[in-house]
Amino acid sequence: MTETNLTVAVIDPSRARAAILEEGLRAAGIGRVVVVPDTADLMERVAALAPDVVVIHLESPSRDILEQMSSVTRQAERPVAMFVDRSDAAMMQAAVDAGISAYVVDGLRPERIRSILDIAILRHNAFARLQRELSEARGELADRKLIERAKGILMNLKGLSEEEAYKQLRRKAMNEKRKIADIARAIVTTADLLG
Amino acid sequence: MRLHIGYVPLCDAAPLIAAHAFGFARAEGLDLDLAPEPSWATLRDRLALGHLDAAQMLAPLALASGLGLSGPPADLAVPLGLSLNGNAVTVTNALWAAMAPEGDDLDAVAAALGRVARERAGSGRPLTLGTVHPFSCHTYQLRLLACRGGFDMSLVRLVVVPPQHSVEALERGIVDGFCAGAPWNGVAVAAGLGRIAALGRDLAPDAPEKVLAVSRRRDGATLPLVRAVARAGLWCAEPGNRAELAHCLAGRRYLDLDAELVGRTLAGELTVGAAPRRVPDYIRFGAPAQAPGPDRLRWLLTQMRAAGQLPPGPDLEPAAAALYRPDILAEALPERTD
Repeated sequence: MTETNLTVAVIDPSRARAAILEEGLRAAGIGRVVVVPDTADLMERVAALAPDVVVIHLESPSRDILEQMSSVTRQAERPVAMFVDRSDAAMMQAAVDAGISAYVVDGLRPERIRSILDIAILRHNAFARLQRELSEARGELADRKLIERAKGILMNLKGLSEEEAYKQLRRKAMNEKRKIADIARAIVTTADLLG
Repeated sequence: MRLHIGYVPLCDAAPLIAAHAFGFARAEGLDLDLAPEPSWATLRDRLALGHLDAAQMLAPLALASGLGLSGPPADLAVPLGLSLNGNAVTVTNALWAAMAPEGDDLDAVAAALGRVARERAGSGRPLTLGTVHPFSCHTYQLRLLACRGGFDMSLVRLVVVPPQHSVEALERGIVDGFCAGAPWNGVAVAAGLGRIAALGRDLAPDAPEKVLAVSRRRDGATLPLVRAVARAGLWCAEPGNRAELAHCLAGRRYLDLDAELVGRTLAGELTVGAAPRRVPDYIRFGAPAQAPGPDRLRWLLTQMRAAGQLPPGPDLEPAAAALYRPDILAEALPERTD
């Protein structure tokens, strides 16, 4: 897709997510991609930029501003209309599920908008997946630290080797049908209280 | 039964919040998952596309959504009104000083606003006024204020200001005034950033402000939900419950604002212009607000038409009337007398 003459505005309360979308749209050959900060003067900024398409995250409180710009076409510098009409319910559902909505200038060909929205949906879903993986990884790291501390406590207290300490933790977890990290947390908490 | 309910953090979300917080929903076997929505557009889309089972909604937006005039067409019903009134027009201190109205009454204030609006339009710097969404009583109340002041809305720039940005927009002069719901006018006045120029209830007495819109996908949940929220609304209307309600609403989970300010707002203790006023019906909950009757529907359609929001073509009134379901309220609360 070569869309070098298009301007796309991206509005998103998350700067990281906005950056990922910006990068994706640039990589797809969009000529001008501008991230507009979600502040009180958003309308002036969007009007000055005169984008062909605005991609906005559903969490942005500024969505209602674009609704007004699209309903009062005679006042706006350029007419803005909401994309995804009722003939494309599946696209709209996919966009809202991914957390985005798009507003486009009247008269832009639907297939050009569709490809932009496709990129936005893919990027948003990828970002959500990354965030999920990151929070899982953080959880795992925290668990591993807890287990290390619990092993250390058992080794000191009972004169065990590291391997024996870990085996005891694992056996206890299996017997009680709990996670090793839960057993480790109990040991660390107890040691903190008694220490 | 678990239900996903959307609301916008405002005083008139009270019946929904109270239904959850004070046990009215539990009594009906419902577990309400209340989600604050960042904008009316997002709340509307989530209700239309099935992320939400029901929502607090601007009365005009519920109609527009159900009629397919705003966002994806929604299969919804309006079985219950949540509130009447509650809006006000706040202007910057600079605009208030320029207006210098000759009296406190609405006619004097509207005339003064009209004079400044004409001056500013004449000098190429039209006044900028904020509303919360095109399909809102706020938009119509600004139009009624213009009408009262003898000026045409084409003389001013009408923009949308999200309520959470309204105070900042006033402070930075991005707007010269805005019409918003409670408690944002009180917040702006308390911060010394503006003056309340007009109350919604003076411009349009007992305008239907927020309604409960329910998705038709969850028909089985409608009766118990309407019963719970209607009873919660009656509870909210009791002056004796006001302090407890204000404390709950002001909490971090909901509005996250000063409880005293929320309490004064619910009681209608306001500073309008320069004078303190006590306006008991500044915001109304309970029985008078609840039945979604044909008179309210007609008023809304009249305002929508006047604002140029109804497309030309066949009359939409029959389709709109099918969305308003006072019969559901009557079935949910047979003991109602009005």
